[in-house]
Amino acid sequence: MHFGAEFILIGSALVVVAIIAGMFSSRLGAPLLLVFLGLGMLAGEDGPGGIEFSDFHTTYLVGSIALAIILFDGGLRTPRSVLRIALWPALSLATVGVVVTSGVAAAIAVYALEMTPPQGFLVGATVASTDAAAVFILLHARGTEIARRVSATLELESGINDPMAIFLTIVAVQWLLQPHAALSMETALYFVVQMGGGAIIGGLGGYALLQVINRVEIAAGLYPILAAAGALIIFAGAQIVDASGFLAVYLAGLVLGNNRHRADAVISRFHDGLAWLAQIIMFLVLGLLVTPRELFSGFGGEVILAVTLILIARPLAVWLSLIPFRFSWQEKAFIAWVGLRGAVPIFLASIPVIAGVPDGTLYFNVAFVVVLFSLVIQGWTVSRAARVLGLELPPPPEVPDRQDIELPQTVDREAAGWNVAPASPALSHPFTSLPLPKRTKVIAVIREGALLNRGTLDRLQVDDYVLALVPPEQVIALDTLFSTPVQRQRRLMPAELGEFVFEADVKLGQVCAMYGVPFEPLDHGQTLAEFIHGRIGENVVVGDRVKIGEVELIVRALQKDRISKVGLEVEPEAERLPILRFWRRIKGLLRSEAA
Amino acid sequence: MEISDLIEPRAVMANVRAANKKQALQEIARRASEVTGEPERAIFDVLIERERLGTTGVGSGIAIPHGKLAALKRLYGVFARLETAIDFESIDGQPVDLVFLLLAPAGAGADHLKALARVSRLLRDRAVCEKLRGSDNAEALYALLTENTASHAA
Repeated sequence: MHFGAEFILIGSALVVVAIIAGMFSSRLGAPLLLVFLGLGMLAGEDGPGGIEFSDFHTTYLVGSIALAIILFDGGLRTPRSVLRIALWPALSLATVGVVVTSGVAAAIAVYALEMTPPQGFLVGATVASTDAAAVFILLHARGTEIARRVSATLELESGINDPMAIFLTIVAVQWLLQPHAALSMETALYFVVQMGGGAIIGGLGGYALLQVINRVEIAAGLYPILAAAGALIIFAGAQIVDASGFLAVYLAGLVLGNNRHRADAVISRFHDGLAWLAQIIMFLVLGLLVTPRELFSGFGGEVILAVTLILIARPLAVWLSLIPFRFSWQEKAFIAWVGLRGAVPIFLASIPVIAGVPDGTLYFNVAFVVVLFSLVIQGWTVSRAARVLGLELPPPPEVPDRQDIELPQTVDREAAGWNVAPASPALSHPFTSLPLPKRTKVIAVIREGALLNRGTLDRLQVDDYVLALVPPEQVIALDTLFSTPVQRQRRLMPAELGEFVFEADVKLGQVCAMYGVPFEPLDHGQTLAEFIHGRIGENVVVGDRVKIGEVELIVRALQKDRISKVGLEVEPEAERLPILRFWRRIKGLLRSEAA
Repeated sequence: MEISDLIEPRAVMANVRAANKKQALQEIARRASEVTGEPERAIFDVLIERERLGTTGVGSGIAIPHGKLAALKRLYGVFARLETAIDFESIDGQPVDLVFLLLAPAGAGADHLKALARVSRLLRDRAVCEKLRGSDNAEALYALLTENTASHAA
């Protein structure tokens, strides 16, 4: 029986190839989703794969399920702390921001693609939302740690802005099909049902799912399946009554993820994998569906749209949406840059085809080009943008290559062994003058399986195994000594959190007097923590800065939402930020040219 | 603000022996006293006072202790390379073996900050630190500290 076997073989092979290609691409820093999309195109009719696939209905069905699963997983993984920090700005970006983006994009489409306003509006609506998975993957890419408030806002925004874009797309399609019925009371009512209904069904559905999961006794492996099926019921249930299933399923994930429930670890791990699969399948299918030949027909206008979306529409939308909130210009610039478009615009652009809008595939191709550009230009430069704008935080230390050795309780020192890592600080000292913390003693050095004579050892080498006795509080100092320095691992300096560190309960007056910084006499008796909380509010995150005179106070560490350590930055912004240094250098060059 | 404006050859110490943070600060305060003519005890007290607010160990084996002394006429720097690294309660927990002491007169607001920024930027350069660690001669250290001035001024 060969029935179906070919289909299964091709499908599963594509998934395997996508995963392996993804692994290589992340080493090169190429955006993962772009690889999936590219593979789909290669497998498709114009590529070596030669698979003929042009079924928009199947694509829409697969896309819906995949998107629902991705959004549910996004909700599951959004902790309450993200909501607390970022709810309002993200909500503003997901509503006002989407409307502004689609409006500007519509205007550009009308000119660049010579469309009628309703057609332009449809194009604008399809490309208006940012992609949850793309944003999430890029923000959490290995070695990039981005200021918390910014990453939380971007993540949350990307999770909740799809419903708005979907709503706008449906309205635009209706406008095109029935030019006279559009923008009536019915549209307003439809909006209320979509969003209100989606919110209610999502909230209640999520709560019901939570109850079911906590009440039934089933095999552990079935809980994640139950959760997934429940999520799809909530999604489809909402869609059937014209409410937004995408909003509902995200909220259901939020409710489940933020309440104690059974099989927590199994469910989140399973859904992590499931969301990856959904992502891969969605991009593969979209890549298969597109006909690259057609894509390159009216290329010029589409490129103009793609580029102006990145450079004008998104920045304007971000700027307008974030006016009421406290973001620095660097943070706004970064949020504007990480307006990544992913599968959603392409998926949304299949709606006009299905609905029978004339020239339906035109929208599909436009959306495809926009997404390709966004993934290439923005996807490839996210971590660089964070660095240039000074929003990168020092990465959390890598887990050191250390083995602890059990000693009897009576010994007040610990024994542990370290593998000497490449470029570790220990390599730059002669063995006899290693900078060891006090009461620390190296008891053995093993090289290539042989015990070395410590008396005649000149210098440690990479991969030497060092066995040492060390007081517990100094273990970390040895971790640092034998590991590759963090900066070296990433070939760059993280944005500083201030050169000097103060305890948060130090008085502001003391610090200001010491550095000759002017301050309001009223603030004199405040502690640094009180001062910063007073300026920023209760919800602070590591990396928050408050300027005072020439210096900046920076939140360095938190303990249970209260500031515990404060950094002092003595170098002005213009010296510190690569982009400003670059700008000054250019100005200097121009001036010397002129002279 | 250049490093050479802050430090003179006799303010560079090549092989300071100290078992702990306090001893290191004492040794450096003694040299600072010779350079500035101010009492050693007063200098040491200012430094200890400052450390109490938070460590000046800025990480990667570097410390930049600093403070203000009313009687000083200008900024003074003292550089010390420690023979063995000591615990300085640094940000990154790593023991410290390069110390740049900076003393400022009472009224030196902006200059004090500029000098601190300058020293901090110099010692953030890994290549410079590696060279400093590899040299145990005061004159060579002085040359290393001041030679980089030009390339870092931009």
